[in-house]
Amino acid sequence: MEDETEKQKKHLAMVERLSKRPQSRPTNAESSAESTSSFLSRFSELKTSIDFQLHQSQSLSSDPPNLKLHFQNISQSISDLEKLVAQNSYLLPSYDVRTSLKTVSDLKLSLQNITNQLIPKTKFSFKNKPTKKDPKDTAIPQPKQLPQPSIPGTRLAARESPGFRNKVGEVLVAEFRGSEVGEFAVSDLDSCEVRIIGSVRALFVHRLKNSRVYVGPVTGSVLIEEAEDCVFVMASHQIRIHSARKSDFYLRVRSKPIIEDSNGVRFAPYCLSYRGIEEDLRGAGLDAESGNWENVDDFRWLRAVQSPNWSVLPESERVGIIDISNLKNGDEEI
Amino acid sequence: MGLLSIIRKIKRKEKEMRILMVGLDNSGKTTIVLKINGEDTSVISPTLGFNIKTITYQKYTLNIWDVGGQKTIRSYWRNYFEQTDGLVWVVDSSDLRRLDDCKLELDNLLKEERLSGATLLILANKQDIKGALTPEEIAKVLNLEAMDKSRHWQIVGCSAYTGEGLLEGFDWLVQDIASRIYMLD
Ligand SMILES: Nc1nc2c(ncn2[C@@H]2O[C@H](COP(=O)(O)OP(=O)(O)OP(=O)(O)O)[C@@H](O)[C@H]2O)c(=O)[nH]1
Ligand SMILES: [Mg+2]
Repeated sequence: MEDETEKQKKHLAMVERLSKRPQSRPTNAESSAESTSSFLSRFSELKTSIDFQLHQSQSLSSDPPNLKLHFQNISQSISDLEKLVAQNSYLLPSYDVRTSLKTVSDLKLSLQNITNQLIPKTKFSFKNKPTKKDPKDTAIPQPKQLPQPSIPGTRLAARESPGFRNKVGEVLVAEFRGSEVGEFAVSDLDSCEVRIIGSVRALFVHRLKNSRVYVGPVTGSVLIEEAEDCVFVMASHQIRIHSARKSDFYLRVRSKPIIEDSNGVRFAPYCLSYRGIEEDLRGAGLDAESGNWENVDDFRWLRAVQSPNWSVLPESERVGIIDISNLKNGDEEI
Repeated sequence: MGLLSIIRKIKRKEKEMRILMVGLDNSGKTTIVLKINGEDTSVISPTLGFNIKTITYQKYTLNIWDVGGQKTIRSYWRNYFEQTDGLVWVVDSSDLRRLDDCKLELDNLLKEERLSGATLLILANKQDIKGALTPEEIAKVLNLEAMDKSRHWQIVGCSAYTGEGLLEGFDWLVQDIASRIYMLD
């Protein structure tokens, strides 16, 4: 009974690990560490069984009807495995999520290969059909959003960040060369063009429609919420994009840009120019292109496959270098 | 003796503390943890999931859980509540527009039974930014004075950028937890 002794060995190893816990990584979150390890053991159990099924395929090669069924079963098991990862993805360290998703896609590939190998091409597409899953099946369950009541009277009405607010159809220029600037807010604009020359520490963008926003280096982070039909050209250490639709982002970012609740957003590299921009970029540690403009993380789509909510802007549709050196307020039509 | 009290016991012996860091996305949680630990803070991505850091602080071992604050993952914060000794709520003091959101999320958190015994440190972060609200102003907006009287809490202004205020905040947090957990035997 090889299986039994294997099991026992595993059990002993587990007991041993547990008994060592207080010395090595003690309270390291009893509950969550537990759920991670129970996920991992469930995951490897399923994976082992899929590997085993794949391995058996060869022996069915002379029995096409059963082989077909066999492959359907495997495909189903892989989908289940993927679902398991999706359901647990918020509990798990991102490293584990990524490696698990990698394992899933490797299994899919193995299935694909062995299917191609054992079933003649002409029948392949037909037989493969039932294995196709609706992508929605495995998408991460969306957490329920409670309606959020607004709380009156908590705002400090007296204070407002410097910024551009409530404008329609204007060109808005701010120049911060040499002066120390903190946060800057751009909000409630319709059909405007915003040009920020020089560096700011933090940029907040809120409720923009049909507008263009060109900004020099941001040494901290950019937070964009609610934008539609806009073009953004910005360089920053971090960029978070929430609730954006049909907008293009030309970015240089030191970390990965992230999107949440957005769709139809496209990305391309930074393309801004004004006199002295190189110096500003250097000062902000943004002189080198990191290539992160296309490493977008969609928080609503934590899957190995490409998110349908964003894409790389095709080169043929990109604007060229945008030079905002000599344009003063109102000089130009939009 | 229940399992919980056994765990408590081990913890006491080891002088361990479990700290949960939460707050809206972009408030600076990850930057703060790395700064305290003396690590490089120049490239940090928004946190997808969570990070755990085990830090030796004075004579204690802190297990710090830094959980991402993006809206999508806030509903998963509760997976990390168990066994929390210290709760650190981080506020971006320059993000005036989202202070309502910030208050709402904090209020929800404080209703949590499982966090009711935890010491609460509020870090009014990004004080280095020109237009940032002061800790006093933040306290007013969040209506901290109205908090349950049994809660041990403190608000401290800080900057993960300069490091200012971080040690002051964590010193208070660790002392308060220590006096509750280790000296009550
Ligand atoms: N000026 C300034 N910027 C800060 C400070 N602390 C953090 N930042 C910046 O704020 C941005 C967000 O910091 P993070 O540490 O990623 O924030 P977080 O709370 O971990 O965000 P999530 O992981 O999305 O929940 C980064 O660009 C930091 O550089 C500070 O004290 N001052
Ligand atoms: Mg973080």
